[in-house]
Amino acid sequence: MIKIENLTKYYGSNRAVNHISFEINDNEILGFLGPNGAGKSTTMNMIAGYLPMTSGSVSICGVDISQEPVRAKQNIGYLPEIPPVYPDMKVKEYLSFCAGLKRIPHSERKKEINRVTELLKITDVSSRLIKNLSKGYKQRVGFAQALLGNPKFLILDEPTVGLDPNQVIEVRNIISDLKKEHSVIFSSHILSEISAVCDRVIIINKGEIKAIDTIANLESSFKDRLILNAKISGKQEHITSVIRAVSGVKHIVQVTPEGESTYIFRIQLDGDADTVRNDVMSALIANNIKLLEIFTEKPNLEDVFIKLVNQPSNRSSLHDLVEEMTAGDTGSDSENRKEEQ
Amino acid sequence: MFSIYKKELQSYFYTPFAYVIAAAFMLIFTFVFNAAIAKIDSSTYQFSFASNFYSVIFYFVFLIPVLTMRSYADERKFGTEVLLMTSPINVFKIVMGKFLATATVFLFMIAGSALFPIVTALNGQVVVSQLICAYIGFFLWGCMCIAIGMLISSFTENSIIAAILGEIAMLAVMFIDDLSGTDFIAQFPAVQSVLYAFSAQPKFAYFSQGLMRLSDIVFFISAIAVVIAWTVISIEKRRWKRG
Repeated sequence: MIKIENLTKYYGSNRAVNHISFEINDNEILGFLGPNGAGKSTTMNMIAGYLPMTSGSVSICGVDISQEPVRAKQNIGYLPEIPPVYPDMKVKEYLSFCAGLKRIPHSERKKEINRVTELLKITDVSSRLIKNLSKGYKQRVGFAQALLGNPKFLILDEPTVGLDPNQVIEVRNIISDLKKEHSVIFSSHILSEISAVCDRVIIINKGEIKAIDTIANLESSFKDRLILNAKISGKQEHITSVIRAVSGVKHIVQVTPEGESTYIFRIQLDGDADTVRNDVMSALIANNIKLLEIFTEKPNLEDVFIKLVNQPSNRSSLHDLVEEMTAGDTGSDSENRKEEQ
Repeated sequence: MFSIYKKELQSYFYTPFAYVIAAAFMLIFTFVFNAAIAKIDSSTYQFSFASNFYSVIFYFVFLIPVLTMRSYADERKFGTEVLLMTSPINVFKIVMGKFLATATVFLFMIAGSALFPIVTALNGQVVVSQLICAYIGFFLWGCMCIAIGMLISSFTENSIIAAILGEIAMLAVMFIDDLSGTDFIAQFPAVQSVLYAFSAQPKFAYFSQGLMRLSDIVFFISAIAVVIAWTVISIEKRRWKRG
């Protein structure tokens, strides 16, 4: 387990990380999500023992990284944002050098290097100079380095940047597989990536934790909060009263006029989406109102992210926020997004 | 430490780097040697390899920053410093590994110069004991300059700047002796004796005369130790204030 307590980092008078505390459990993938410049890399650098902290502590399996750095670092594999590779070395040489740095016994080095090169599919480039490799391959060589010696904790700073879509999926699968034996901290500014692999997510901005929650919680917050979009022709007041009468409709979020006597209604649902949608349709038809288009809209994860990142205060769970967001009086999602940009 | 040593040696010898510098060293040595034997006709001049070494350092000193400029500057430039710092190895071992590797390259270079005394010995006479003494002095002196060059490399991430600053430092090391001999400094005997104590050149001169004095050996070794300790501190300190 990695325990992070009150971690703070100042660069001169500029505060990059402000009193953050969290824990990484065994066999867990923890996502670290935040926009550029949020303090993700700084935090990861501190956990890996590259940057000293201004205050606070990081302990890895009970070993404090600033007290006993050598012992603490033995349990960590770190892939920084820029893969730490030597351009003038061959992949094989580089990995064997890293194996030496990580004090892997001579007898096991070859086996260990083969294991990681096969895992990351870099066997075919193993006798090429690193400077001649593409960005994606360099990234994978750096990743292979972090896996050498099978460290208990892996810290991966944006491991999928610069990879093509196929490789991104491969790397995600590798990360998911790693969960069996390792704990992984994995940073990204892409929300979908985090939600694809992580068990838990930390959202960070301006050096402060905005939310820590499980992906499952995040998703369940959305399930009962679907929005129905309907393009309807007719008198607005009439339509409104008909829709309001249907049970399972929480309220009408927004009405946008579309040409003459045509409106787009955004309706917040409460309960099972399919049933409510059918009820709304039948009610409209029964009242002779022309229904032109209807679809259910899932709340946008990206909006949650933007919202979380920009909220002024700390919040304990995503759930509260989602509640607030979908409460209706905040207006449409797209409007929010415009404002925040 | 050994893995860093090995990697550094590889980076010197797998690239043309070490060979080019070794060739430059041989060139300097040859010029100095030729200039010395050209004077051999004069009845007052006596040639010795040891004094040859003494002349060589005036030219050779400026090659050392070229050898050491990349040692830390490039680590920072390529972001590989993170790898070293997050590995379960302490900074002192990293510094020692790098220093020993560069010292090995230096040894390889001066080994090449042994060709001259060997050829001379085949046809003439070489005072072996004096020559060995000169070699030991030359090696110690070179290691001190290497340590200084590597310290300067740890200050910057631009290897060209490291080289330029290194050259300036080498000039300072060379001219401390001359400075202590000037009339101006001679007015202050205390300053003069301190400067003289710090000048490496007269200490090397004893070696090249075939004198191995304990105080000189201690001087070089302690200078190397101080500079290496400084390098460790410089790297640690920079991590603390890095932005």
